[in-house]
Amino acid sequence: MSAIQIIFWFLSALAIVSALMVLISKNPVHSVLWLIMVFFAISGHYILLNAQFLAIVNLIVYAGAIMVLFLFVIMLMNLNNESEPQKNVWMRLAGAVSGGCLLMILVSLVRQAIEINNKVAEMKVGDIGLIGNLGKALFKDYLVPFEISSVLFLSAMVGAIVIGKKN
Amino acid sequence: MTTLLAIDWALLTEKLILIAIIIFASLGIALYMTYGERKVAGILQDRPGPNRAGPFGIFQPFADGLKLIMKEEIIPDTSNKALFILGPGLAMSAALMTCAVVPWGDHVELFGRNIALQIADINVGILYVFAVVSVGVYGIMIGGWASNNKFSLLAALRGASQAISYELAMGLSLIAVLMTTGTLQLGEIVKQQMAPGHLWNIAYQPLAFIIFLVCAFAECNRTPFDLPEAESELNQGYHQEYSSMKLGFYLFSEYINMFISSAIMVTLFFGGYDVPFLNESLLSPNIAALVGIIALMTKIVCFIFFFMWVRWTIPRFRYDQLMNLGWKKLVPLALANMLITGAVILLWFNK
Amino acid sequence: MLNDFLILMKQELVITIIIFILLFIKIGSKDWKNESLLKLINVLLLLNVVFSFIGNQEGVLFNEMFRTNDLISLEKGILSLGTLIISLSSYSWLQNHKHVAEFYMLLLSTLLGMFLMISGGHLIMFYLGLELSTIPLAAIANFDLDKRKSSEAAFKLIISSAFSSGLLLFGISLVYGTTGTLLFSELAQTLTGTPIQIFAFILLFAGFAFKISVVPFHLWTADVYEGAPVAVTSYLSVISKGAVLFVFVSVLYGAFKPLATTWYNMLFILSVLTIIVGNLFAIRQNNLKRFLAFSSIAQVGFILIGVSGSSQTGTASVIYFILVYIFSNLAAFGVISFISAVTGKETIDDYKALYKTNPFLSWVITIALFSLAGVPPTAGFFGKYFLLMAGTGIAGSKGLIIWIIIAALNLVISFYYYLRVVKAIFMDANETPIQKLSVPFLPKLAMIICVAGIVLTGLFSFIYEYIFSLSNGF
Repeated sequence: MSAIQIIFWFLSALAIVSALMVLISKNPVHSVLWLIMVFFAISGHYILLNAQFLAIVNLIVYAGAIMVLFLFVIMLMNLNNESEPQKNVWMRLAGAVSGGCLLMILVSLVRQAIEINNKVAEMKVGDIGLIGNLGKALFKDYLVPFEISSVLFLSAMVGAIVIGKKN
Repeated sequence: MTTLLAIDWALLTEKLILIAIIIFASLGIALYMTYGERKVAGILQDRPGPNRAGPFGIFQPFADGLKLIMKEEIIPDTSNKALFILGPGLAMSAALMTCAVVPWGDHVELFGRNIALQIADINVGILYVFAVVSVGVYGIMIGGWASNNKFSLLAALRGASQAISYELAMGLSLIAVLMTTGTLQLGEIVKQQMAPGHLWNIAYQPLAFIIFLVCAFAECNRTPFDLPEAESELNQGYHQEYSSMKLGFYLFSEYINMFISSAIMVTLFFGGYDVPFLNESLLSPNIAALVGIIALMTKIVCFIFFFMWVRWTIPRFRYDQLMNLGWKKLVPLALANMLITGAVILLWFNK
Repeated sequence: MLNDFLILMKQELVITIIIFILLFIKIGSKDWKNESLLKLINVLLLLNVVFSFIGNQEGVLFNEMFRTNDLISLEKGILSLGTLIISLSSYSWLQNHKHVAEFYMLLLSTLLGMFLMISGGHLIMFYLGLELSTIPLAAIANFDLDKRKSSEAAFKLIISSAFSSGLLLFGISLVYGTTGTLLFSELAQTLTGTPIQIFAFILLFAGFAFKISVVPFHLWTADVYEGAPVAVTSYLSVISKGAVLFVFVSVLYGAFKPLATTWYNMLFILSVLTIIVGNLFAIRQNNLKRFLAFSSIAQVGFILIGVSGSSQTGTASVIYFILVYIFSNLAAFGVISFISAVTGKETIDDYKALYKTNPFLSWVITIALFSLAGVPPTAGFFGKYFLLMAGTGIAGSKGLIIWIIIAALNLVISFYYYLRVVKAIFMDANETPIQKLSVPFLPKLAMIICVAGIVLTGLFSFIYEYIFSLSNGF
């Protein structure tokens, strides 16, 4: 196995284990930290696929800004496992069964998908992830969605300020 | 053997050695920055400063370090012991990770190999610095939360909100610099400033430099932005419950942050390892690298002195003044700078 | 090129200009009184509606990211008309509100998002339009700032829509992974029916189904409709649903044509469930907003029957029904909005004996309820008739005539709960009836437009024929 394969399997295992720990942790602050670990693992995957800008921006925006806000809310609200209402056993059973069915369907779909079978992802190849090319694509082919997302941000800010203002 | 597992072992070894040298050098410099701080404070306040441990107090940092190690390690009765220990670790790691992309010199030729004096010259160099600074906020927040102490929590939240507000202005001011350099690679930026016919970036982007300087002060939690660790308010801030080496880590990470911020500022705006009026190609590569490193260190020391000088000159900001400055003054200023830069480039340089 | 851009995107540009006017009004130092601001905004919205119907052209822009033709312009015109009516009827509530300019800015941002969603030719444009139409809505659902229920409604709306957007994105990414393209025109040619594509389609369908409150995804509807201010509830129930149904129809008929048997069967099951659940829950409701929420869930079940029809009749019947539904629902919500703003009463028990004190309001809400139920001279009857006709042809050929029978039976059940409200208004006695209210000009105008719309759309056949003639747009 080459080094790239080792890194790939390591990052995938890290991502899956961290994601599971997000759900299993009793303390919400621990869940947030495991989620940050998931983002690091996914950024690693992006770098393997030669999408460097996306990897770094993923870290800056998700792990660096959004999770900080999550932590703010959790720390200020002081959520604990003891104060949460306990779900009854039948609901948990139903959840486990439906989640398991979904997992089974996903696994069977991916196994028999002819588009994916026996194909290997090209790593370190392809230059759309390099920042210059990404910028050009964003401003030429995808200009309208780009500008519309700016309107989205403006309206989200206006909404947040109206709701949060003390009057 | 050199390509077992498809890794170039020689390259890996040279990078590991470089990493070790840089980390030890940073730690050593941070150590002597503690001494420097107290001496500069003494000079500015017209008193001798430390002068007992060795001639001129040179061995003072070792005395301080020994004191910190020998103190009793107290872990308060909290339910989050793992997080309590993780906090200072995160702060220190984030502080050290930034040195990976700073170009310390041009290149050195040893054993027939061309060793670049930069650990990783990645395509997105400046953004990497930015990402690590974003992650560094967690050291403060987790330390404050895990102390199980309301004052620490308040101080930590203030520190985190200060950090994310000033990160924004820092990023926006960097965009203007990016527009003039056209590349994110830090090695390229230094080489551009060294090229004949080009001035250092401070001449092209003075406003961006001032905004970046103010934001660097805020990110390092240095006076006038040191509300999170204010000694006279909020008890001791977010590292109140820490003792012995963990406290040492927090204090040390602040100094390393200062060192790295100075390094980044010098790289971006003052030419990095460039010696002005000297044509480096006239010297042999190793001597040129050595001269470059000495030049870089001199500039960094000047900046560090500036950091310490401001500490004893300006009083601390109140929290609302701080937020006002970050959001209502620096962000619009950085945006205006970006617009002006863009207009000038479009109309006069047509790049 | 610039000319093209200005003409083809004129509706979006008008809305953007209005948003900017509001922005500058808010930033400016002159303090506007609420009444004058509201009158200005209503005039601007009227101009918006008028602009929608003149000078429409066909074309694509930006590499097929944006496409428009007469049918799409008509759909946008219908949505603008609905927004105008909502704005007119929420006059009394907004008179005393502190954030009028922000309300309209956010509302028009959602309308802009819906326009972009309808004329998108690329799945990314569609997704961005969807997000732009949801997030500001969650903010304005909280606009009853001193009531707790309002914050609860906004919270439920944003969390549920974030989750459904997550599912939708998973579907989009699987579609991209298996076909390599996201343009609607190319998807129709490259989609084959492999299992992974069917799964991707199910996820996409889940995203849509959430927005139109189809049954397994309807749990947010009642609480959000009850907690949000009435103007926002009416917007959510009519305009938001209408926009997503328009896109739904164009996506199913256009991009996902190769998966026709899959979505037909899904529509059958979901529509039956929706109609039955909507009716059963509406019978028990006492709060008028919740009642209209469940009745709108049942109406969506009917619309899905029309969607399943073949391309031309299906499209025409859906668009016609949404026009009729806009008029009927907004008439009902107009009355409720006015009474709620002035007296704060929202339950059916409070509305008993309304006829004695407020005959105008009683007649308006009665005609609206008749139209929703499907009583013949009103347009609601024709709407449902066309929907069932559109669905019957295909249902017969696939042996699913039971679907039409179930729908017709449920129509009868829905009569019960609609007429229950009419009975309460006209025939029940009340100790503390709602006092005589004088309706100001603008809400009255809104109610008259709606009632006129209900009656005229039913009587004049050229409206339906015009829609039918445009319906080959896909």
